[in-house]
Amino acid sequence: MTDKHLQFLEIPRKDPDKLPIEVRTTEFREIYSQYGAETAAQQAGRCIACGNPFCEWKCPVHNYIPNWLALVNDGKLFEAAELSHQTNSLPEMCGRICPQDRLCEGACTLNDGIGAVSIGAIEKYITDEAFKQGWKPDMSNVVRTGKRVAVVGAGPAGLACADVLARNGVTPVVFDRYPKIGGLLTFGIPPFKLEKDVVEKRREIMEYMGVEFRLNVDVGRDVSFEDIAAEFDAVFLGMGTYGYVKGGFAGEDLPGVHEALPYLISNINRELGIDDAALGFIDMRGKQVVVLGGGDTGMDCNRTAIRQGAGSVTCTYRRDEDNMPGSRRDYKNSKEEGVTFLFNKQPIEIVGSDRVRGVKLVETRLGSPGPRGRRIPEVVSGTEETIEADAVIIAFGFLPSPPDWFVQQQIALHANGRVRVSAAPQHRFQTTNPKVFAGGDMVRGSDLVVTAVFEGREAAQGILRYLQ
Amino acid sequence: MPQYLAEFYPDLKDPRMEASVVVFHQRFSTNTMPQWRLAHPYRYLAHNGEINTVQGNRSWAVARGPLFRSPLLPDLSDILPVVSLTGSDSQSLDNMLELLLIGGLDPMHAMRMLVPPAWQSVDMIDPDLKAFYEYYATHMEPWDGPAGIVLTDGRYVCCTLDRNGLRPARWVITKNRHITVASEAGVWDYLPEDVVKKGKLGPGEMLALDLQTSELLDTKRVDELLKSRHPYKVWLKKGVRYLQTDLIDPRLAAEPFDRDTLALFQKMYNVSAEERDEIIRVLAEDESEAVGSMGDDTPMPVLSKKVRSLYDYFRQQFAQVTNPPIDSLRESIVMSLQTQIGPECNIFAPAQQHAEQIVLSSPVLSQRKLRQIVALADSGVPNEFIDLQYDERLDLKSALSAVCDQAEAAVRNGKIVLLLSDRYLVKGKNPVHALLATGAVHHRLVKTGLRCKCNILVETGTARDAHHFACLIGYGATAVYPYLAYQTLFDLMRKGALKMEAAMRQELGRSYRRGIRKGLFKIMSKMGISTVASYRSAQLFEIVGLSDEVVGMCFEGSDSRIQGADFADLKADADYLAKRAWDPAERVEQGGLLKYMHGGEYHMYNPDVVATLQSAVMTGNYEQYLEFAALVNKRPVSCVRDLLKINPRAAAIPIEEVESESAIFARFDSAGMSLGALSPEAHEALAIAMNRLGARSNSGEGGEDPVRYGTEKNSKIKQVASGRFGVTPEYLINAEVLQIKIAQGAKPGEGGQLPGHKVNDMIARLRFARPGVGLISPPPHHDIYSIEDLAQLIFDLKQVNPRALVSVKLVAEPGVGTVAAGVAKAYADLITISGYDGGTGASPLSSIKYAGTPWELGLAETHQTLRANELRHRIRLQTDGGLKTGLDVVKAALIGAESFGFGTAPMVALGCKYLRICHLNNCATGVATQHNVLRAKYFIGLPDMVVNYFKFVARECREIMASMGIRSFTQLIGHTELLDMLPGETSKQRKLDLSPLLANSGLISNKPQYCVDPRNEPFDKGAMAEKMLDDMKGAIASGSGGEFSYAVNNFHRSIGARISGEIAKRWGNHGMSTAPLIVSLKGSAGQSFGVWNAGGLHLHLEGEANDYVGKGMAGGKIVLKPPARSSFAARDTVIMGNTCLYGATGGELYAAGTAGERFAVRNSGALAVVEGAGDHCCEYMTGGVVCVLGRTGVNFGAGFTGGFAYVLDMERDFVDRYNHELIDINRVSPEGMGIHVQHLRGLIEQHVEATDSAWGAQLINDFRSYIGRFWVVKPKAAAIDSLLENLRRAA
Repeated sequence: MTDKHLQFLEIPRKDPDKLPIEVRTTEFREIYSQYGAETAAQQAGRCIACGNPFCEWKCPVHNYIPNWLALVNDGKLFEAAELSHQTNSLPEMCGRICPQDRLCEGACTLNDGIGAVSIGAIEKYITDEAFKQGWKPDMSNVVRTGKRVAVVGAGPAGLACADVLARNGVTPVVFDRYPKIGGLLTFGIPPFKLEKDVVEKRREIMEYMGVEFRLNVDVGRDVSFEDIAAEFDAVFLGMGTYGYVKGGFAGEDLPGVHEALPYLISNINRELGIDDAALGFIDMRGKQVVVLGGGDTGMDCNRTAIRQGAGSVTCTYRRDEDNMPGSRRDYKNSKEEGVTFLFNKQPIEIVGSDRVRGVKLVETRLGSPGPRGRRIPEVVSGTEETIEADAVIIAFGFLPSPPDWFVQQQIALHANGRVRVSAAPQHRFQTTNPKVFAGGDMVRGSDLVVTAVFEGREAAQGILRYLQ
Repeated sequence: MPQYLAEFYPDLKDPRMEASVVVFHQRFSTNTMPQWRLAHPYRYLAHNGEINTVQGNRSWAVARGPLFRSPLLPDLSDILPVVSLTGSDSQSLDNMLELLLIGGLDPMHAMRMLVPPAWQSVDMIDPDLKAFYEYYATHMEPWDGPAGIVLTDGRYVCCTLDRNGLRPARWVITKNRHITVASEAGVWDYLPEDVVKKGKLGPGEMLALDLQTSELLDTKRVDELLKSRHPYKVWLKKGVRYLQTDLIDPRLAAEPFDRDTLALFQKMYNVSAEERDEIIRVLAEDESEAVGSMGDDTPMPVLSKKVRSLYDYFRQQFAQVTNPPIDSLRESIVMSLQTQIGPECNIFAPAQQHAEQIVLSSPVLSQRKLRQIVALADSGVPNEFIDLQYDERLDLKSALSAVCDQAEAAVRNGKIVLLLSDRYLVKGKNPVHALLATGAVHHRLVKTGLRCKCNILVETGTARDAHHFACLIGYGATAVYPYLAYQTLFDLMRKGALKMEAAMRQELGRSYRRGIRKGLFKIMSKMGISTVASYRSAQLFEIVGLSDEVVGMCFEGSDSRIQGADFADLKADADYLAKRAWDPAERVEQGGLLKYMHGGEYHMYNPDVVATLQSAVMTGNYEQYLEFAALVNKRPVSCVRDLLKINPRAAAIPIEEVESESAIFARFDSAGMSLGALSPEAHEALAIAMNRLGARSNSGEGGEDPVRYGTEKNSKIKQVASGRFGVTPEYLINAEVLQIKIAQGAKPGEGGQLPGHKVNDMIARLRFARPGVGLISPPPHHDIYSIEDLAQLIFDLKQVNPRALVSVKLVAEPGVGTVAAGVAKAYADLITISGYDGGTGASPLSSIKYAGTPWELGLAETHQTLRANELRHRIRLQTDGGLKTGLDVVKAALIGAESFGFGTAPMVALGCKYLRICHLNNCATGVATQHNVLRAKYFIGLPDMVVNYFKFVARECREIMASMGIRSFTQLIGHTELLDMLPGETSKQRKLDLSPLLANSGLISNKPQYCVDPRNEPFDKGAMAEKMLDDMKGAIASGSGGEFSYAVNNFHRSIGARISGEIAKRWGNHGMSTAPLIVSLKGSAGQSFGVWNAGGLHLHLEGEANDYVGKGMAGGKIVLKPPARSSFAARDTVIMGNTCLYGATGGELYAAGTAGERFAVRNSGALAVVEGAGDHCCEYMTGGVVCVLGRTGVNFGAGFTGGFAYVLDMERDFVDRYNHELIDINRVSPEGMGIHVQHLRGLIEQHVEATDSAWGAQLINDFRSYIGRFWVVKPKAAAIDSLLENLRRAA
């Protein structure tokens, strides 16, 4: 028998098995398998229950990680699921797509050489497995207040907000312009990271909890905001950021140059059998693809292109490998799947006349830290080179995209287009329109799913206080 | 001073003045100033020691006032209260004795009642005698403590000792028919041949002399007289009802709460998931309190922004120096929780109806017992149910008054049991906190003279851990029914969350109660209190953060120094909880009090703080350090000092003008952290860093590897703690400072523990213990039961190492200033005042959380008291506890410290992540573990990281000093005028009054506020020792040995230590063994004869010795034999006092006579032959061989884990006298144990050769007849065949 207190040494960290490369590069299936109960218990038992739970501290929603690890270790799956849902509305999603290596697992005490506890995989295991065994959130104690709140946007912030509201007896009605819930969870994140029936399962659960979804409704176009404001006691806006950061160099408008998000959405539409004529299907089969940008979205584009059968995929990033923002796990998976990375390369032009022929790059080196602490890349003159490309995907990040009707609704913005909230500390995430709350990317700028979840939940608390 | 006696009392000089008895006492003034009103003897008695229970005794004396009636005392109303509430403890005891004597009791009866021996847990006691004690126990709680009491009423002269035997009493009868009883042997110069008989009193014994009949009565005779006066046994049999439950009470919760109801109660009474899992569950699963490590880094409740339990405002008081804690684990024989219910009656009119009581074995009730008590209403024990719920619109004070009114009326109507209950929640009503209600009702009933007519039972959801029970009992509860703890456990069982055998689940409640009982014993023993009767209503807490309004109504008389929350604040807390509780959407809180948790209580070592500090020390980047310092210095108010702001009185100066960093380093020590708790790598890195800085590291209590002596790895501070692990003469001389750890901030009043899995071969070698066997340091130093004892230990240390400074580590609590003044008068050079927030490698969580107070309070009190007594300049004052930044250092200096101890912060600098798992040996950072892989692969600490840390702190100090216009550090010390109080951020904080901290007691400021004397030289220059050293110097230098002889007297203390120190310096512990100095001495040796004896020193004493013979002996030989012409039987006569061979690691001791209590306690290597021993012989022994050729006292071998003993058992009752927990005994028989027979015979032969023992010679002569009467005593874990083998290997 192993010594419980030394389990972290005696049993090494073991991630769930991955599909073999040859299989996974041809399909849009999730590449990680699920732990069995025994492995999950063993891996969870590696947690040493630190007096300072660095994992929980680093986690944006402050999951009670050591506590549910202990429950998994004890085989108390439903209790773990219950506890996991106390701090997180979408644990099965976060378990899949959070960059744990930069968050909980990166902060794990055991990450100094011993091997962090595989927190993400266990988080995913808990909810998937609990759902499979029939667990549902316990709503028996909920006392209906009769209040109703409109939630605009069925992305992570909106879903999280609706979850907390429903658990507190407020009826949320969620509007979304897409035919399915999830926002970027459905349409942005490729299925090989998050299969779409996971989102469907969540929808089922939320409907069971009393959440109503009104889909294919674009607020401001299909229904006016005034109507919503009149119908509901409060409104939550979680509409995300859909503007694109531009490179600002020549050739960005050439045929064959794509923004990351339309590219990803078109692929998912095809996978889901959704026909969106406006968007069409952007296919990379056989093409030499260059992806510009080293963030999570860039990684998603890389790996989508690989699966579409691209001839080659090259990803360029203007800082070095260590400073690349994308999740280490996705980076590693991209490399395994055949993506070529070019570091310290900054694009200065997309070359071609009628269509893309190549990308002109220049070498960079890291200069002094900028205002946010990250070192700014400086161009090394005389290092231009052009690499060939049939298609270029630009993944430089997202910008706020506030609709015009915000102005007349007295919803004020920051200079960069983000929604202004929390002027009065008693109602967190309240916009300048007292009845309207907002959270997620449209408030904080493009960020992680888990931070959007956090803001949606916090905003729900603000709404609950507002409604009292 | 005795020489002034004749001048003060001229009548004593008159030749016509004759007396057949003299009672006198000379005191060491531990009080700040000697005062005539404190002079002994009082009217009847003189008392050497302390009454630990005095607060409870006084409280009950007041309550009981109306009950005392006797024809001789018709009306007491004019003299109430019957005892002094302000004088010394001895004075109160004298008052009570006087009352009893005037009321008609004789002195023996009165004293046996007031200071009874341990009778509850003693199996072999005579039933009639037990009945005597039990009868009176229902009317009088023990006045307990270390006590040697002598008294006389003119006819009887008595001497009695406390149940623990913590004070010595030696008697001698000489041919001139004088009997002398004194706390030392040899107090006057009788001729050896004039001695008729000598002896000592043991624990709980009494010696009395009837001057009328000339009869000398020993304990047995006294007890026979007393027990036969009334048919106590018959009375008890008729009157007492014992509430016994069946062994198994499956109805833990006869009406289990459903989940929603449980959640309602848990929210209402603030039970978090953390408390449920980490505290309540562990109590039931392990039958003991949860153990944790590191310190308490959360704010005091009054500073917190969270709603904290009312119990958190109460800090357990603990004994240090002037009175000792006792050892509830190893000396459980003296402990009792027996509790009775029923009205008290007049003590002067013994009668059967006064025995009508209900007796409970413990004050922690099961549901069944509570129901039995309630059901007694039908049979003459009427009760009153008092609902603690009140309309939430009422204010708390009115609600409390209503509760008190109901209680008072009920008692006036003849109700005997008051049941205060918060069990029935009603929406719209809030519960009065059970502790407020208990305290308020108790005080109301005392004031109205009704208290002793009733008993307070408390049915509460607020009581879950042992501290909660201690608070309720300490403020008057007779018994407590913790229904919510049971319901919570029941729910855990229902959910299958308990890790216990199915059969054990049936006994869940019992397991939980056992855990609570152990915790209660621990809390009581911390104050040196043995029985719950003496603890009840004693109010042994310091309240930190409640206003006078609350204290005055509910906890009057408790120490409470800085104000804080009032009724309105407490009501606001309760309202908040109630609002959450009734809201079904609100969940039971997750927790965060023990460990950091987002949204929970603030933690001063939260992940942010740890991570920034680590990154700063690794890079050496001061900017990063400033980020860390900002996190700390600008945190939410968490410590008292966070409410103080520096207010410079001068313009800033350039930093270059401020004294240098290296001058400041000399003020920095690392706090005592033992090798054992820490890995050798971490321990050495710390030592190296401190030495490189010119600061000092502290070895902690665990010895030190001699290869480190004289190198950069040597710890300049060597700790001497209660376990005395590895404390040898060589260890002691390799130190600049010798620190006596009286108490530790994380767990004051308790011993240490090193779990067995951390005791690997190396740790075992350094501690002279067995690998794999857990090591426990006793709660008390067994050689410090009083301030005189501490002075003796300081003298012992200064004798062995005259160059070292001696430091005494205390923990902040009310009165610590007085203790410190005593310590200064005991000639310590340095005093450390630790705060509650100090760290630990392993301790019960409840000790970490509930004992000790902030160092700010203790430091201020100490600094002020030392100044008021003009002692401040003689002694260095240090503080430690949670110091992190330069700002902490500067504030501590302003309050009065000149030196600073750091424990956790340098650990964090070495890679510690504050995991709080030190006690599990699995520290993933390799800091606090002995695990080879973790140490080798994952320890990243380098001395430079610690060096960086202290450089940063010193630099920050200098920057702050520059900003204050202060050049020299001494300009900071004690300058409280440079501190201003901040208003505070919360309602409670704003009500605090910190002015007592900043007061300078109106003292003129021209006296130095810091130490200017190089050292605090003892009054006793040890002239005899210096002469001996002069004589032997040459022989030591050349290693040639030699023979010497001297006469000694009992004021020659610590004889041998001076020489052992010199030997150890030149030759180490054993280097001179082959060419010994043989020293022959005659007379009565003073205390600590042969202390710290080194190899190569042989002391042969013809005469007798006092306490602490051979303490800390590492080698050499000590021989004691009676004077040649003695007429008494040596084998029945005591030849040395208490606590001999304490912590000895080697050497040999032969004594032709018997030893006192606790012989060979913590022996870890010495060989000893004695002819009899007192109680607790071989306690905590971890090595060596002890051979007792005669009767031993009770509790032999408690905590005995190594070595072995031979015991001669002529009366065939040893089996009842040894402690069965860890050892077993085997008869020595020639068959199959030939090697032991041979070994034993060899020992006795050596004994005879050394001492000329007549008894030893007789044993050898007729060895075959006696051999079957010997037992071999050994740890259960050791195989008998291995004993001698181990011995050979150790040699």
